[in-house]
Amino acid sequence: MSAVVAEFRRNRLSLSYVIVVALLFLLVVAGGFLSDRFLTWRNFGNLFQQLVVLGMVSLGQTFVVLLGGIDLAVGSLVSASTVFIAHFLEWRPDLLWLALPLALVAATAIGALNGLLTIVLRVHPLIVTLGMSSIIFGGTLMYNKEPGGSVPRGLADFSYAKLWGIPATAIVLVAIFALAGLWLQRSRSGRSIYFVGGDREAARLNGLPVNRIVVMAYALSGLCAGLAAIFLTARTGVGDPRIGAALTLQSITPVVVGGTVLAGGRGGVLGTLLGVLLVTMLNNLLNFLNVSSYYQWVIQGLIIIIAVSIHTTRRRQ
Amino acid sequence: MAPLETPLPRPRSVSAASVFERYGLIVFFVALLLVAAALSPTFLRPANLVNVLTIAAPLGMVVVGQTFVILVRGLDLSVASLMATVAVLATAFKATTNDAIPLIFVAAIAFSAVVGLVNGWLVAKRNVSPFLATLAMMIILQGVRFAYTGGAPISTLPPGMGFLASGRILGIPVNLITLALLAIVFGVVLHRSRLGREIFMVGSNPKAAFLNGVAPDRVIILCYVICSVCAGIGGLFLLGYVGTVSNWVGQGYELDSIVAAVMGGVALTGGRGNIFAALLGVAVLVVINNLVLLLGFPIEMQLIIKGIIIIGAAAFYRTRLA
Repeated sequence: MSAVVAEFRRNRLSLSYVIVVALLFLLVVAGGFLSDRFLTWRNFGNLFQQLVVLGMVSLGQTFVVLLGGIDLAVGSLVSASTVFIAHFLEWRPDLLWLALPLALVAATAIGALNGLLTIVLRVHPLIVTLGMSSIIFGGTLMYNKEPGGSVPRGLADFSYAKLWGIPATAIVLVAIFALAGLWLQRSRSGRSIYFVGGDREAARLNGLPVNRIVVMAYALSGLCAGLAAIFLTARTGVGDPRIGAALTLQSITPVVVGGTVLAGGRGGVLGTLLGVLLVTMLNNLLNFLNVSSYYQWVIQGLIIIIAVSIHTTRRRQ
Repeated sequence: MAPLETPLPRPRSVSAASVFERYGLIVFFVALLLVAAALSPTFLRPANLVNVLTIAAPLGMVVVGQTFVILVRGLDLSVASLMATVAVLATAFKATTNDAIPLIFVAAIAFSAVVGLVNGWLVAKRNVSPFLATLAMMIILQGVRFAYTGGAPISTLPPGMGFLASGRILGIPVNLITLALLAIVFGVVLHRSRLGREIFMVGSNPKAAFLNGVAPDRVIILCYVICSVCAGIGGLFLLGYVGTVSNWVGQGYELDSIVAAVMGGVALTGGRGNIFAALLGVAVLVVINNLVLLLGFPIEMQLIIKGIIIIGAAAFYRTRLA
């Protein structure tokens, strides 16, 4: 909780958050009136289960965006990781303890490689991660074009496990977000992400190891993609080379809705968590209202524009 | 205030590096053609070359537009979605005769111009980052398109639409003639006109452009309109090539067009680039894709090679952090 307060104070983000929280509140109230199934314990359980994967990927995206970069490889990385996990576990279901850490290490390494390439080649992160995304996707498809593999019972049970009626995966997600928020606010390395994102040259002149921080942020994004893949594989039970494709762009919406600026240096993980909640809840409500997914796309596009417009207008005043 | 006539630093010192940067892509392209001819006997067959060029034409049209947007420090992710939306729009007339083709073109161009106007307005007036503005537009167009077609578009098209892809005038494919016309018109606008100079000025230094009496906002909006119109025209030609309307006509063109432009030396940081070099980038991209297929590699290999090329090309031109 103190981390939350600290984030409010130091980044003066309170108004951004207030807007998002107010929208969330509005949504809950409107949802309660419009659908009698929306405001139920059961629906919120489902909802939290749904937002775990998007939440994880968006968290990783937040680190990179705070730095002034962007990671367009996360979708391919999630897909590749699910394929790896599911096929490894089909081969040796008893090696669960090895498969998951291995997947996380590989995903983190690929993320770090993204960061390294932006530094070594001095190429815009958009281009680097786009290229990497293409390479990862191609490589995954060469290995296997169709969904395949399987997961042992234990992992599948985890995705439906509940603790005091709350999905265990959601608790894990919130815990990870809390850790990430604490780290960003309270630790030297965490704060330095803001510094590098705000003014890279100033950070360098202040003696910060800028290159190492950049690589670390991209590595964290990779790690989050790996974690998202674990949640996803546990729930679906297969590795699907196309399952993450949509996540790349989806992961950016909650970040910007939560007030993190694409130019870097401002924002935080609390905003992202609220953004994920807002986006997922809105889609959930629209589903209850039988609004076709086509219009949900339109609404998602409008949300991006409106959110960014609000945040930029506020900053200029 | 009259714009200052600044003498251009024309006689630049000719270093090996600058020569390589200017002609490197041509050398690379020629080398690629030689390699392709050596590796695959089918490559140089007229039928294959025409096929390659026919595939390249719609992408080339999109790249002409994408170049304008990148020159003013932007990028347009909505082009592919616009192409498909224009394709769906072409079916809206339920036309079975060729009389409707001019109407289809007018409607497509008008619609595209409005889309470009909105993109440009969001970027220039509302300060939304180009990435987010055009991403949002991409999603919105997708939603509108699917909502209109209900997921399954009908392909009622005038029979003459196929002419856009396979037709020839004096033996030259129509789509190549159109691409050449587009490239020449917009090439002259960009590299020989006052507006073109303003675009480069806004791209390399908006503040200086403003102080020189140029309205950056208007120039930026115009670039987005040009981009969308080019994409709309490209969408109709691609539709002629594909023959049937689907909700995903042009999928992947947003990234391919950016890749081609970057390979052609258009700097993502704005203010530097050339339309014809960007089109050479298209040629390189399409030849590589063709070669992968001719050599019998799996199609996934294209993705891997494309990824390596995009990073390599950008590193070559040192697109620095924006």
